[in-house]
Amino acid sequence: MKLCVFMSEYRSGYDIVKRLEAEKLGIVLVGNSVYHAASDNKAEHCMLPENAELYVLAEDLECRGIETAKLASEFRVVTYPDIVDLIFDEYEKSVWI
Amino acid sequence: MGKLTIGSFSSPSGTMSLDFAIKLAEAAVNKGHTVDLWLSGNATVLGNRDHKHFKDYSHLQKTIKILLDSGRFQMTICEACADARGCKKDNTLQGCRRASMDWYLASCFNADRVILVGDN
Repeated sequence: MKLCVFMSEYRSGYDIVKRLEAEKLGIVLVGNSVYHAASDNKAEHCMLPENAELYVLAEDLECRGIETAKLASEFRVVTYPDIVDLIFDEYEKSVWI
Repeated sequence: MGKLTIGSFSSPSGTMSLDFAIKLAEAAVNKGHTVDLWLSGNATVLGNRDHKHFKDYSHLQKTIKILLDSGRFQMTICEACADARGCKKDNTLQGCRRASMDWYLASCFNADRVILVGDN
């Protein structure tokens, strides 16, 4: 199954995503979880599954004053229309944690 | 084009989950998809009409009215949850439906994609 996971919290959710198994796993960082993408701490990025495609919502970065140019290369910045395409075209199931 | 069913229990204030849900619905409708939005728990408050627009508060009703007018968007609130919070039928936003959870179940069954946004 192709699974898209929306993470909205900064301090929780790792324990869940680490245990998820999917043919294709995508993690979309929204809300306060976008701070993970802004961190310079590589170990923090490593808390996300290595095999996951990582996305981060542009609007939530912007409203927190985080510049997209400073993000680690593994994160793809997406908009709401992009998320619609992810849900319909690239993943079969979507969950929010 | 497909159908997306979005469910949410989150309060319109205090979290940004409903903002996410409405913006996602807006983006999907603009791409030609149809969207069903089911609101239960504290999210039913969003179905009250005439929310006052404070500068520092999220205000979603303008977008909701545009979405309802599009003909590709339905918003339904849990009737029992609304009644439990004093949200009366005669104070419900025009175009917003009130129903039991059966409506949500049926919507999920015939949707192409389903997502539950936010938590309590």
